Formats: sequence, C-alpha cells, structure tokens
Amino acid sequence: MIEELFQIERDAFKDSPIHRLDARVKIAIAFAAIIALVAVPYSPMIYTVGAIFFAFFCVLWACTRLSPVIYLKRALAIIPLWGVIIFFQIFLKNKYYTTYDVVMSLPFGINIYAQSIEFAFILFVKFVVCISFIILLSSTTKMQDMLEGGARMGLPAEFALALGMMIRYLFVFGYMFRKINETLKTKCFDAFDRHLSYQYRLRQLGYMIGTMFIRSYEQGERVYTSMLCRGYGRESYLFVAKKGLKGGEWAFLSISLVFIIAIPVAVWLTSFHMF
Amino acid sequence: MHIPDAFIPIWQGAIYWIIALVFVALALRWARNEMNEEKLPLVAVLAAGIFALQSFNLPVSMGTSGHLVGGALAAIILGSPFAAVFILSLVLIVQGVLFGDGGITTMGANIINMGVIGGFVGFYSFKGLMGVTKSMPISGFVAAWLACLIPALACAVEMYFAGTFPLTEGLVAMGIYHAIIGVIEGFVTVAAIYLITSVRPDLVDTGVKTPAGAQVP
Repeated sequence: MIEELFQIERDAFKDSPIHRLDARVKIAIAFAAIIALVAVPYSPMIYTVGAIFFAFFCVLWACTRLSPVIYLKRALAIIPLWGVIIFFQIFLKNKYYTTYDVVMSLPFGINIYAQSIEFAFILFVKFVVCISFIILLSSTTKMQDMLEGGARMGLPAEFALALGMMIRYLFVFGYMFRKINETLKTKCFDAFDRHLSYQYRLRQLGYMIGTMFIRSYEQGERVYTSMLCRGYGRESYLFVAKKGLKGGEWAFLSISLVFIIAIPVAVWLTSFHMF
Repeated sequence: MHIPDAFIPIWQGAIYWIIALVFVALALRWARNEMNEEKLPLVAVLAAGIFALQSFNLPVSMGTSGHLVGGALAAIILGSPFAAVFILSLVLIVQGVLFGDGGITTMGANIINMGVIGGFVGFYSFKGLMGVTKSMPISGFVAAWLACLIPALACAVEMYFAGTFPLTEGLVAMGIYHAIIGVIEGFVTVAAIYLITSVRPDLVDTGVKTPAGAQVP
C-alpha cells in the first residue's frame, strides 16, 4: 500500500479541470455520492442508480485526463479482496428476502439461491461505484490540499496536524523500507529461504521492522524540530487561511449535489428501471 | 476487518458514527491535553506504523477481511486508550479516503471496532496483567491478542445486524482467523514495545521503563 501511495500522489500532481477544483468540492461530491448510494435500499433499483452514478463518475474521470488504466489498476487492487467476500453471499440467506429459490445444490448441504445471487450483485454494484468515487477523489487531490480542505470543512486542528505528520511519515516509511530492503538484498537475505532457520528469519525481520520504526521516528523528529525552529507548531493548523469557493466551483458543486440527490429519488418515485 | 461502504445500511452506519464521535471527542480532549510537541511525532509515526501493519490484508471466508489491528500497541505506548482511538481514527481516515480500504459511511463502525474496542481492551488488559504478572512480554502479548480477537468478533456481530452475513458463521470465521492473526499481533506488539523501551524508554507512557517491564506505576 505504501508503494501505491507514491503513485497516487504522482497522479494527484497532474493537471486537469478536476485537479484544479477546490478539494472541498471534490470531497463533498465524493462523500455525497457514496452516502446516496449506500442510502439506496438493497433492491434491484440500485442497478439503475449505480449505472447512472457510474456514468457520472466516467464523465468526471474523462475530465481528469488520467488513463482509465490507472483507475482499473487501483480498482483491481481493492475489488478482488471484497469480491471474494461478496461472492460468498451467494451461499447465504439474509434478512432482506423472505423466500429463497435454490438454483444449484452442492455437496455438504450447500445451496446457491437466486435471491442471494441478486443480493451479491446489489452489494457488488454499490461497492464498486463507492470505490470509484474514492479513487477519483484521491487520484485528483494532493494530500496537502485534501488536508487543508478537510480543515476548512471543520476537521479538528489536532486531527489535521497529526494527519499531516502521519502522511509525511508514510513517505519516510516508504523510503526507509526501500533502503532496508536493498540492504537485505545485498546481504542475500531472503525471508522465504527455507534453508535458514525460522528463528533467524524472524529475528532479522524483527530487526528490520524495528529499525524502520526507530529510524523513521528519529528522521521525523529531526524534521519536526526544524519545523518548530521555523515557527511551525501544533497550533499552526488553527490558522488555515479562509478561502471562498469560486463561482464556477459553487455552480459545479450545486449541480452535482442536486444530481446526486435527485437521481435516486427520481428512480424510486418513478420506478424507472434500466435493467 | 475494515467494513466497506454498502455492507452496513445507512441508518446503522449513522448510529455507529454517533457512538464513534463520542469517543473521538474524548480522544480529541486527550490530544489537546497530552499531545505536546514531543509526543506529536510519536503519535504520527505510530499512526504510520499501524497503517503499514494493517496493509497486510487477507480475506476471511463468510465475512470480511483480516489483518493486524495495532490498537493495543498505540494504547500501551501512549498510556491511554483514547490514544488508540485518536491514532486508529487517523489511520482509518487515510485508508478510507485515499485507498478505499474501509468506507466512509462505515468508518464509525470501524473506529468503534479497532479504535475503541481494540484500544480499551488492549490497554486495560495490559494494565491488569502487568499488575499481576509484572512481565511486559506476557502482558503485552495477551493484551494484543485480545485486542485483535474481540474487535473481530464485534465486526461479525455488526455484519449480522446489517444482515450481510449470519452470526454463527461470522463469529466462527472471524474468531478463528483473528485468534491466529492475534498471535502475530501479540509478537509484533511485544517486539515493538521491547524495542522502544530498549532504545527510547522516554517515549513510553504506560510506566514500562525496561524491556522486561519491571517498573510499573
């Protein structure tokens, strides 16, 4: 995940109309879309809402000028893990259906139910579209901007400051991890080499994790001390400058929020189904 | 153990958020009082370290995923269960907003499981065991094991309430899996406390000032 962090930050530093939007606008749109999707009941109605939201996401992604491959790579890093868990739903009964029709019977009394397949698909649609908006947000917003945006939206100063430090440490951890890994490679150490005793391998890995922690801490401590010398302090984020949204940003935010709220309500009221 | 969006209905997610916010507010009070210029880098590095620990994520059948938690480690090093709530909240924000690991609507539930339950179970079981055994390795190991297992069981119960998987299967799957992961978590926690007390005993706030844990308040 640390390696992915470097790629995400590289993507966020690119330029596009979406990249240039204020972080607050992107946070509000992403969160609103996720809340709206989760608020839709577990019913086939989600197929239509999910398809429209995904189309909205695709339009926004096209505006970012980022390759669809970036989205696919990031989505594929997350989806398989939960895909397995969603897949298991097809064998389970849940409280959202009263009757279950067996589609297939397997050994050991395991059945696959039509309703469970439908429920798994509903979960999958909700999950994928929610993840897509998170990928859009993080791929187009620098971490520092996200932090400042969060602080302007009311994120407590203590959180903002500690988050800022934490993100710095994540990068320090990443660099330390690379360095220590290279050092171990030059010593021809392989943690999966069965010729070495298990105790020896564990001890070496323990030293590696410990060294990474202490070195990162001390590196971070030095950086933080120098920041303090320049007047930075734990109160700094209490004074994030106020910044208003531009007219275009207000318009984009308003239209997007209306769209995000109106679509599920309209689909629910009209019982319109695309699928 | 990170419950993603869509796995908990919105109204249940809102209830978990409200409960979590109470503890987050108390954690913020801890941060205002305790997080001074010296402690801030440690809080941040612990958060980054726990983030790295939680990166090792594996699926658990019938339910959700399994990984190390780190709540006990944070609470023991910083000497307060609210430190764990604070740090785990930071970790979950970064994981949820940047990586899509965990969710936005389910973040309250995840904070309760890993931060609140993990932190409180880890901290108080460590304190209790230290009083009895006077041994950091034993106390740290058991505390971390419990702080891994009990949040996992809580996660299974929440998923049951959500209707996204049955209770018995979830408890069995999550319980067995995290009982095993908890052993690794126990070793990592003891190793981290041992290392920090050996190299920088000034950073540890629980009163454990030697690797063996002889000096208890």
